[in-house]
Amino acid sequence: MTSNRRYFVSLLVVAAILPASACDHVQSALAPRGEEAIAIDVLFWTVTITSVTVTVLVTGLTVVALWGPERWRVQLSQERAIYGGGLLLPVVVLSILLIWALFILEAGASRTRTAGEPAVTITGKQWWWKVAYRTADGREIISANELRLPVGEATAIALKTDDVIHSFWAPQLAGKLDMIPGRTNVIVLEPTEPGVSRGQCAEYCGGAHALMAFHVVAMAKADYEAWLAREAVPARVPTTEKQRAGQRVFLENGCGACHTIRGTDADGTIGPDLTHVGSRLSLAAATLPNDEQAFARWITNNQHIKPDNLMPPFKQFAPEELTAVASYLDSLE
Amino acid sequence: MIVRTGGRRARARDAAVKARSWRVAAIAVAASAGVLAFVGAVVIVAGVYNVAASVEHLYVTDRLIEFTLHRSISVRSASIEAPSLEDDDLVRLGAEHFSSGCAPCHGNPDRPQNPIVARMYPAPPPLQNAVSDWAVEELFWIVKHGIKFTGMPAWPGEGRDDEVWAVVAYLRQLEVSPADDPRHLREREQASGDLPLAALGEPDVESCARCHGGEGSPPISDRVPVLHGQNARYLDRALHEYRDGTRASGIMAPVAAGLAPGEIDYFARYYSSLTSTASGTSKAASGDVQYGREIAERGIPADGIPPCLVCHSGRASAAFPALAGLSATYLNGQLDLWRRGLRDRTTYGAIMAPIARRLAPEQIDAVTTYLSILARSEGSAESVRQGAIGDD
Repeated sequence: MTSNRRYFVSLLVVAAILPASACDHVQSALAPRGEEAIAIDVLFWTVTITSVTVTVLVTGLTVVALWGPERWRVQLSQERAIYGGGLLLPVVVLSILLIWALFILEAGASRTRTAGEPAVTITGKQWWWKVAYRTADGREIISANELRLPVGEATAIALKTDDVIHSFWAPQLAGKLDMIPGRTNVIVLEPTEPGVSRGQCAEYCGGAHALMAFHVVAMAKADYEAWLAREAVPARVPTTEKQRAGQRVFLENGCGACHTIRGTDADGTIGPDLTHVGSRLSLAAATLPNDEQAFARWITNNQHIKPDNLMPPFKQFAPEELTAVASYLDSLE
Repeated sequence: MIVRTGGRRARARDAAVKARSWRVAAIAVAASAGVLAFVGAVVIVAGVYNVAASVEHLYVTDRLIEFTLHRSISVRSASIEAPSLEDDDLVRLGAEHFSSGCAPCHGNPDRPQNPIVARMYPAPPPLQNAVSDWAVEELFWIVKHGIKFTGMPAWPGEGRDDEVWAVVAYLRQLEVSPADDPRHLREREQASGDLPLAALGEPDVESCARCHGGEGSPPISDRVPVLHGQNARYLDRALHEYRDGTRASGIMAPVAAGLAPGEIDYFARYYSSLTSTASGTSKAASGDVQYGREIAERGIPADGIPPCLVCHSGRASAAFPALAGLSATYLNGQLDLWRRGLRDRTTYGAIMAPIARRLAPEQIDAVTTYLSILARSEGSAESVRQGAIGDD
């Protein structure tokens, strides 16, 4: 009895939480803010409404067949009803749905063709995203764990992986597309309004798979171009004594073997590019907030935050060295 | 027979007799056990048993202990596989450790055993003939694990089987060709040549120089790192780690444990100030030098391997060791310790551990070969830049 009631109560709680959690929308496919996601949303509701209608219809007919008036039951048992409702209706409904879906989703990937050459390449890594923007003059600007896009413009994005299969999924903007070793897939994203949404790796890729997320920032075209121009310049030169000390700590402790900070000697390519890390919305692939404490935590304790990631723990710093390097990284906007 | 012919009653009587005889036997056993325990208690409590080292065991006790000892060692060393021990570098290292670690109790061929130690019971046996008494695998087991109640300690450096084999290689050499005892050779060299170390009026670097060499002399073995021109801050850290036991070595731990903080600082600065005379070649240097250079300078990003020289050169903190000019044998040995999970207990060791595990064997060969032929001056932090942030 009690266990039954408890089960029922927990079901109620789950039922109450589910819609609530969908309410912040940053990672909800039901709050589309991109052309692709809007198409998916339309299709989703079409199929859902059709399915509900068919279910109600069938249930109604079943009720009639069991308890309905004699005359209705006779009508239902005729061959006409069987051929019409059992064969013709499904063929018509499903065919309309299929054509509708092909039309909505622009089958044949015509969008991938019309969107032109990929302007962004995202490479999946265990467990973060390398994001490379190609500028108009052909330069490649490397960033990580965050995708910025212009509103109202279809951007083709090449998806690759360096290790295992990942899946790129920004639910507010589009459906999932896998990143497969040895292959380049292309997805097209077109945000319809400015705003920040969240994405997630959608294919199990190892222990820290759940901590492989990212943010998508959709910006007005002019803002986007200004941002990309800022992103293209080398890192900001440290201005305070503390930041200068932090830069020395960074360079002398070998951080540059894996990380690049353009404008310094650090030119490693194993870990994320940190040239403008301070301007990103999160650290460690949308796992930590982007602030000084989070930098310090990640440097000393990253194996607990994201077990088995490639970065070794760096615990050799005196407290003032650690705050200095954290402050330096945080200043790289 | 009786059971067959005597019917049910006879069978019952017989069962009763049997039960009674079992009961009698059980009582007898219990009674004698009680008496023995009582006598034992009296012997112990009354102090009858003599624990004196001056009084020998009874003959029977002696034979029993010896038999147990041999069986235990023989069975427990059965699965050990000896590496090749015909290696001068191994023998020389073993010889030096023998002098400081073993000879104080076991004596050596030309110095009789200390009379105090000789009155231990059992007295530590002389080891000139160790190899004819024991198989090399058995010697390895004894040196590694020690022997209970004899004063023979277990090896202090956890996981450092490579060091234990050095001692075994030396014991084997003692037996095979005593005239080639490397200690003799060295003593002869020192008697003829001048020994600049003796002129120092500071802490005695002799205990370091015996293995690592000193001003004008290289290390005695490929397995011993060249310390000349090494970063003082790294040497200081390494000696502290050996002393804390966070970096395991049965050879370095006893040396470091005996050093005062001032001496550690002195030795670190002393070696840092020397110029290397090591030839830079090494038996293990057989890898692809070009590939090694690429790993050292650019790393292999696809395998998650960062370039060695970003940390291990003049550009980085002096707390990292300079690797240029270290022998390939030594570098290989250390990487092997990391790969076996034996060097990640120190703060800096934990940084290297995951990187060492990503290196493939041919990459290790290539990069250690390249680093071993690189000149030390290209790799010392302090020769390029004075101190690091922590020192400012």
